[in-house]
Amino acid sequence: MSHISRIELEIMDLQSLKDACKKLGFHFMEGQTRYQWYGKWVGNQPLPDGISEEDLGKCTHAIHVPAAVFEIGVVRKGNGYILLWDSWIGGGLQKHIGEDAGILKQAYAVESVKRESRKKGYRITEKRMKKGIRLSLSL
Amino acid sequence: MKQIIIDVLDSGEIKIETRGFKGKSCIEESQFLKDLLGEEKARNLVPAYYQTKNKVVIRKHLPLCG
Repeated sequence: MSHISRIELEIMDLQSLKDACKKLGFHFMEGQTRYQWYGKWVGNQPLPDGISEEDLGKCTHAIHVPAAVFEIGVVRKGNGYILLWDSWIGGGLQKHIGEDAGILKQAYAVESVKRESRKKGYRITEKRMKKGIRLSLSL
Repeated sequence: MKQIIIDVLDSGEIKIETRGFKGKSCIEESQFLKDLLGEEKARNLVPAYYQTKNKVVIRKHLPLCG
């Protein structure tokens, strides 16, 4: 063992996000510039950095979750993307994408690592663990 | 065997661990994952990090106090 790093995920690769959506049974809506949400900010949660109330409901692309009423906005921010979505229970998203969209972020990270590692010639094994997914790369 | 282990938790949190590397090569080998996934928030170096391929680097410290 040599070192251990903790990473805060940033969404940089749109293709991996599309692959993650496909794996989870979601539909990536390329070029859809509005996403379904409650329609009015009620102020019960802080807005993400750099996002104002006027930005809510607008996006660069969207993700449609078949079993949910609300959608996820994929918003271009700097070199990457952020996800905007309404966690109101009636919208039905949280059940499918997890708290703080953890399930979607996890699927994105897994697809992203697999895609790039394959390019570099690593052998990849994937294993479901108690609290997440473990990818092992070896040369 | 040299391995890179990536744990992606259900919360979206990511932990990368390198195994079997000596010296700084672990940082270089795993850098592409950090570039790919986002910002490195914390890093713990373990004893193997301070080893070169053939010898152990002895780190000497000067007694600055007392």
